Amino acid sequence: MQKKPATLLALDIVSLILLGVSTYLALIFAPTEVIMGQVQRVFYFHVATAWVGMLGFVAAGVSGIVYLRTGDLKWDRVEMAAVEISLVFFFITIVLGSIWARPVWNTWWTWDPRLTTAAITELIYVAYFMLRQGIEDPDRRARFGAVYTLIGAVSVPITFMAIRLFRTIHPVVVGTESAEAQGGFAMTGDMKVAFFFALFAFTVIFIDLFWNRIRMGALADKVEQLKLKVMQ
Amino acid sequence: MLFLETTPDTSSYMIAGYAIAFGVMLIYVVSLYIRSRNLNRDLSMLEDMDKNN
Amino acid sequence: MAEQTTTAPHQPAKPNYWKAIAAITWKDLAAELRSRELISAMLVFSLLVILIFNFALELDITTRRSVTSGVLWSTFAFAGTLGLNRSMAVEKDRGCLDGLLLAPVDRSAIYFGKVISNLAFMLIVEAIVLPIYSVLYSINLFQPGLLLVILLGSVGYTTVGTLLASMAVQTRTRDVLLPILLFPVVVPILIAAVKASGGYLTGARMDEILPWLNLLIVYDVIFTAISFMVFDYVVEE
Repeated sequence: MQKKPATLLALDIVSLILLGVSTYLALIFAPTEVIMGQVQRVFYFHVATAWVGMLGFVAAGVSGIVYLRTGDLKWDRVEMAAVEISLVFFFITIVLGSIWARPVWNTWWTWDPRLTTAAITELIYVAYFMLRQGIEDPDRRARFGAVYTLIGAVSVPITFMAIRLFRTIHPVVVGTESAEAQGGFAMTGDMKVAFFFALFAFTVIFIDLFWNRIRMGALADKVEQLKLKVMQ
Repeated sequence: MLFLETTPDTSSYMIAGYAIAFGVMLIYVVSLYIRSRNLNRDLSMLEDMDKNN
Repeated sequence: MAEQTTTAPHQPAKPNYWKAIAAITWKDLAAELRSRELISAMLVFSLLVILIFNFALELDITTRRSVTSGVLWSTFAFAGTLGLNRSMAVEKDRGCLDGLLLAPVDRSAIYFGKVISNLAFMLIVEAIVLPIYSVLYSINLFQPGLLLVILLGSVGYTTVGTLLASMAVQTRTRDVLLPILLFPVVVPILIAAVKASGGYLTGARMDEILPWLNLLIVYDVIFTAISFMVFDYVVEE
């Protein structure tokens, strides 16, 4: 297996540094929010990880379509990497959302459209992996994965709109009208710095993890092919 | 909404949040590393087997 | 091989697209007419689900009206997977699918044929469940609005369901996999159908129901189009 390209190694280090700086900005640099206290700081990572989740989501949908059109298994690897990363980061998003909700609205879960849609997306991702698990043939596995990614990718925005419509007609009992996840406070200048830096840092982290994961996918494919050849 | 006189101390939630965020990311990166290492081992073993065939 | 300027060799005329769809649909309906195994299974299952709901939820007179649409759609969603699973499994097991694929018809005709027969089965079961539920709970379920919602919801469910069932049936995990694949993706239909049905049953204003009907129609159109375009990839060898 080839050594890691120098660029990737550099990216690994840069990502770590950016993560560190972002953490500093979120935990120390940004001022404490008056009404909610320290828990508001999770907001920076909550949105940033949601952003990574969305990047992965879109990447998965696009690579699925490209795979169907080209048949090049490389795109299947890209798709799997995207789904996996999105799965991990949406999980963090959801947990942080829950942790934020608890002291602020006295509930572990608000059926907020964004959070609920993220949860449903997680279920779609899990279903995706279960689908792939049950297929031996790599080409069929890739095709089915791409088809399901496409179906999932189209249904998720519709789901979001449906839940939002559901909520406007039935406002949630819990909390005030600022029950929308990002509502409830206004951002000062320093907060904005932390916020946008987190978005930037996590975008770089996404690219780094994405590249690493795609490489691993290529390695896995190589192993699988060799396995078939050697263990006749 | 009433203005609070003091800001509530919600730092334990903040710590839990960041702990989980870092924890999950760490677990993921470690899993990537372990899976890669296993794959590399499999690869060298298979390459040896292939050579001997 | 010598070049020959001959007329094209005689080929049997390509079956008309619509005839192909009709043939596939009729094959399923005729088979079901004889055995009735699919519909009876779905029907009995639906009634059992309603029975369970009866004990699971306190259905007093007032609660009933607001909960009916939810109970109905849960029942249809669960029974629907039964029907879809069986319908596609039969194709695979009896090798019908391979036969169909060899036929000189556009693959999408197979898709539409299956969707229509699956839809027919689902609608038949719903048509039997509705009067039974009406009688059990003294609610008149035969309102045109409600029937429209049931039709639209079933269409959306079956379009996506047929596609996903075609995939699920080719995996190791098969039956178990379909609900896992289908339910997260069919959430908009369930939400819209429950809200719209509930609206009609509780006599809500039309402008409250309309957004849900719109959502159903949009979903149906989008997913019929996507599934039809993508079905090829799911059955190619």
